[in-house]
Order: sequence, then structure tokens, then C-alpha cells
Amino acid sequence: MLHESILNFFKGVYLLLHGIIWGILKQIIPYRYRCKSVKDELVLITGTGSGIGKLLAKRFADLGARVICVDINQEDNLKTCSEIKSSGVDVYAYQCDLSKKEDIYRLTDEIKKSIGNPTIIVNNAGIVTGKKFLETPDSLIEKTFQVNALSHFWIVKSLLHDMLEKNHGHIVTVASMAGIFGASGLVDYCSSKFAAVGFDEALRNEFLRIDKMGVKTTLVCPNIINTGMFQGFKVDGIPSLEPEYVADKIIEGVLTDQELLMLPRTCYLLYFLKPILPFKFADFLDSEVFKLCHSMDNFVGRKKNE
Amino acid sequence: MNFYLTIALNVIYTIYLLIITSIKALIKFLIPYKYRCKNIKDEKVLITGSGSGLGRLVAKKLAQLGALCVLVDIDETANRKTANEILIEGGKAFTFKCDLSNRDEINKLTEDIKSKVGSIDILINNAGIVTGKKFLDSSDKAIEKTFQVNTLSHFWLTKAFLPDMLEKNHGHVVTVASMAGIFGTAGLCDYCASKYAAVGFDESLRMELLRLDKTGVKTTLVCPYYINTGMFDGVKSHLVPILEPDYVAEKIVEAILTNQKMLMLPRLMYFLYAFKGLLTHEVENFAAMDFIKTGLSMDEFKGRKTD
Repeated sequence: MLHESILNFFKGVYLLLHGIIWGILKQIIPYRYRCKSVKDELVLITGTGSGIGKLLAKRFADLGARVICVDINQEDNLKTCSEIKSSGVDVYAYQCDLSKKEDIYRLTDEIKKSIGNPTIIVNNAGIVTGKKFLETPDSLIEKTFQVNALSHFWIVKSLLHDMLEKNHGHIVTVASMAGIFGASGLVDYCSSKFAAVGFDEALRNEFLRIDKMGVKTTLVCPNIINTGMFQGFKVDGIPSLEPEYVADKIIEGVLTDQELLMLPRTCYLLYFLKPILPFKFADFLDSEVFKLCHSMDNFVGRKKNE
Repeated sequence: MNFYLTIALNVIYTIYLLIITSIKALIKFLIPYKYRCKNIKDEKVLITGSGSGLGRLVAKKLAQLGALCVLVDIDETANRKTANEILIEGGKAFTFKCDLSNRDEINKLTEDIKSKVGSIDILINNAGIVTGKKFLDSSDKAIEKTFQVNTLSHFWLTKAFLPDMLEKNHGHVVTVASMAGIFGTAGLCDYCASKYAAVGFDESLRMELLRLDKTGVKTTLVCPYYINTGMFDGVKSHLVPILEPDYVAEKIVEAILTNQKMLMLPRLMYFLYAFKGLLTHEVENFAAMDFIKTGLSMDEFKGRKTD
């Protein structure tokens, strides 16, 4: 037993060093030598009506992938598709209410029947209510969970079998930094994003367990992006991100099979410090330095909220 | 000039805080536990999942300290047994039956409790279920139910009892999550996601209380490793020992009495948690499959027959 543990320890240290060296190499080797091709892959993206989803759909199309756009808003979704069609690839628009499990299954059945099995899934759609915890109606709390967390379950569940059989695929979970750090005024949102983060990690471990490492996972945790979704959110010292930058980084992450992507990169430092810092210190950072706990005070969000 | 002054002051305050908290932690370590406890005599404690396992043990221990226990469980018989054991020892207990996966039942329950018992001082969200099947083998209903009980019930119960706590600026919300809420594990996709959400709930709640400046309302997050209560029957653990329920219950009570914000069991977990943001994925995968073998832990999971 002791012999085994010592061996394991050295193996762990070796892997750590290997990871560090590879991490440094990754910074040096130009990005284009590390990319995989997504040409002719079938990509399913949720939330393509606006924001990040729309930009991702465009970029995937530019890379030669066939894109399935899913959104609750048919009008915006069709607009996205018409803008992409000029790239010459196959684009499909589907309407779906991701808060309803039956609607999701109807959608995936239709897709499997008429187009085929997607090999890349981008779970991007998300909603936020932004009210104080005690003032949030129960139905909105449930809806937040349905769209931000449970829809990932249903979509992946119905499309995973094929990916596992071919041992080829990619599941992208667009969570949020709110899935790593809790914040006031966002109790249901943070909770649902934590669930999405947990789902991605458990899924990755499951693929490891059944030895299907050909199916990749990417977890995206961006800070505030100014797409209008978090209109009115204010935090000191952390600038909001540009949607184009975020979309570029997500594509980069997908093409290089990056498992965890945090934006901006300073968040990696915060993620590293989070378990180490004492609570009083973290509270100080939240209330005085970044003023995170007052960030949702003037939250407005998107005008039309389903 | 003002901007740089603010930064300089923040940095100085940061260093000051780091020193102060380190000293405080050291003192906490030295002062015997019994001088750091708060008194919970006659406080009203609501415990979910009190019919068995951790819930029953924690309820009994708190009752021994003089608290009035409001026991909530889906199993009426088991719940009454817990209440009887408390009453025999001279404690006070009320039982309520509730299916925590049903929002309407929870709303009825909270109204019932408010009329019969009054406001709650300590809310312990302990009830939890696990299906333990591989992701593609889990039924949709089981996934939904896992979220309802492990996560959403926390929302509904806290929403009902928090306003009174805020008014009195006195209260305690205990979230019993799991180490599966910190590290994802194979064979536990829905359970992990729901426990991550519970962890996120506790953290956001703490932030919300910070914003409202209600320092009298405390929160505690409990993340134990696998516990030998029957809930995870059949689970295998390689390096980290499976915990004894009585030890976990004792530690939870200690954490409540000393307003500890986060409790991880065994203490080795703090060490692993500290490294979470640092280790590369290869090392994590190696730990999961070859070293600590958590990835293989759910292979022979059986769980409770009634779930």
C-alpha cells in the first residue's frame, strides 16, 4: 500500500510538471497549430437569437461547420440564420422553449430525424431574473433552473449516445463566473450556473470513467458581457467584456479542446485564490473593493423577459 | 490622487485583514471549543430529512442542547421515531410530513409550521436523495426529483423562513451539501449538479446577507465526503475513509454552535479544495481514476431500497 502511494505521489508530481510545461508551451506555440478542424461538423447552439449565441453561430459557419440554431425567439433566430447563410454552409433554425422538457425532446427528435446527430453541442442559452432573493417569484426561480441547468441535461441526454458510440464529440457549457462565485441579487442565477458547472465536471469525469475521451468538454465562465442581458449590473474594477472577444475566445477554446475557459484571464487567479482566502477577506473584497454585493442594485436586464 | 489613495488604503486594509484573520484563526485553534459556542436553548430548529441518517442524529444532538426541533421528513413513521427518541430524553420536538420534491406541499408545510410553531431560528436543509446511475441510464423523473429535493427545496424553505430571521436579525441557515458539490464525480451527474447548486445557493445567500448587512443571520455550508448512513450503500472509497454518521453529526453541531461558515469532512478535503484551482486536469483525472479513485467509487452503488 505504501509502495503504491509513493509511486502515485511521484506520478502525480510528474503529471503536474508535465501540465505546467505544456501550459507554457501552449503560450508559445502559435494558436493555429493547435486547432482542430470543425469543417462539416454539425453544431447545435442554443440561444442564437442574440448575444454570444449569435456570434458563435456566425463563427462556426465561417469555419465550415453546419449550424443548427435554436432559440425561443423565432424572429431573431431567423435573422441570425439569414446573416449566416452567406457563408455558404447549411444553417437550420429551430424554435424551442428550453424551459420545457417536452419541447426539447421534440426538438432533438426532429433534428436527429431530419438532419442527423450533432457532434458539437453548445449549451449557451441562459436567463436571469435579477431580483432580490425574497422578491423573486417561485415560477421564475424554477424557470431559471430549467433553462440554465436542466435544459443542458435534456439536450445532452438525447444526443450523447451517438457521440459516445463514435467516441467523437464536444460539449460546450456556457456557464458564468457566477457559477464559480456567488453574488447577491443573483441567488437563483448563481445556483443554476453552479449546477451547470457541476454538470460539466461530472460529465467529464463520466467520460473519463467509461474511457470515451474522444468526447471533449469545455466549460466557459465569462464575467459580465455587455450583451444587454445584464444591463444595469455594475462592479468596480472588473470591466465588462466585449461580446466579440468572448465569442473569439470560446471558439479558440473549442478548437483547442480547452477544458476550462475563464474570461477575463484574471479570473483564473481569483479561482485559484478562492479556496485559500479566509472568508472575512473575501467578504471585504466583495463589499468594499469590487462592491460586488451592490452590483445588482440597478439591474435592468433585457426589456422583454419571457 | 484620490484614486491612488483609495488603492493604497485598500492594500493596507487587505494586509491588515490577512494578519488579523490569521491571528484569529490561531486563537480559535487554541481556545477550547466550549468557550466559543453560542447558546441555542429554546431556539426553534427545523431539520429536513430527520427520519434517518444525518438528520436524525443532528436533531437529537440539538434537542439535547435545549433546542425545539421541528422535524420534517417524507417518512412519517421514521420521523415519529426520531421525535419519540427526542421526547424520551426530555427534549422538545414536532413532526411534519412533507414530500420535498413538491413545491405546493412545501408551501403548505411552511404555513402549517408558522401557525403551529411560529418562526424558525435555525433552518437545516439536510434532506437529500441520490439516484446513482450512469448519466444515460438515469430517468428524467429521477433527475428532476434530485434537483427538487437537493436544491429547490432549499429555496422554498429559506424563502419562507428568512424574512422573520431578517426582521429579528437573528437566525441560521445550514445547507448540507456534499463534497460532490465541490468535485464532480462519475456516476453522479445529477447529484453533483444539484449539490453544486446548493453550494452556490449558500454562497449567494451569504453575499445577499452581506449586502443587507444582517450580520445576525448566519450561514453554514456542510460538505461531507461519503457517509455510512445507507444512502450511499455500495460506494467504494480507496484512500479517503467513508465517514461515520455520528462523527459528521457532531461536527455539524459544532459548526452551527460556532457559526462556522464552511465545514468540510474529513479535514483532508480542505487540502484538496485548496488545490482545486491549481491542479491541471491531467492531475485531477489521475487523482480521480488512479490515486484517490473517486471515479470508480460509484461502480457498485446500491443506495437505499426505498428511494
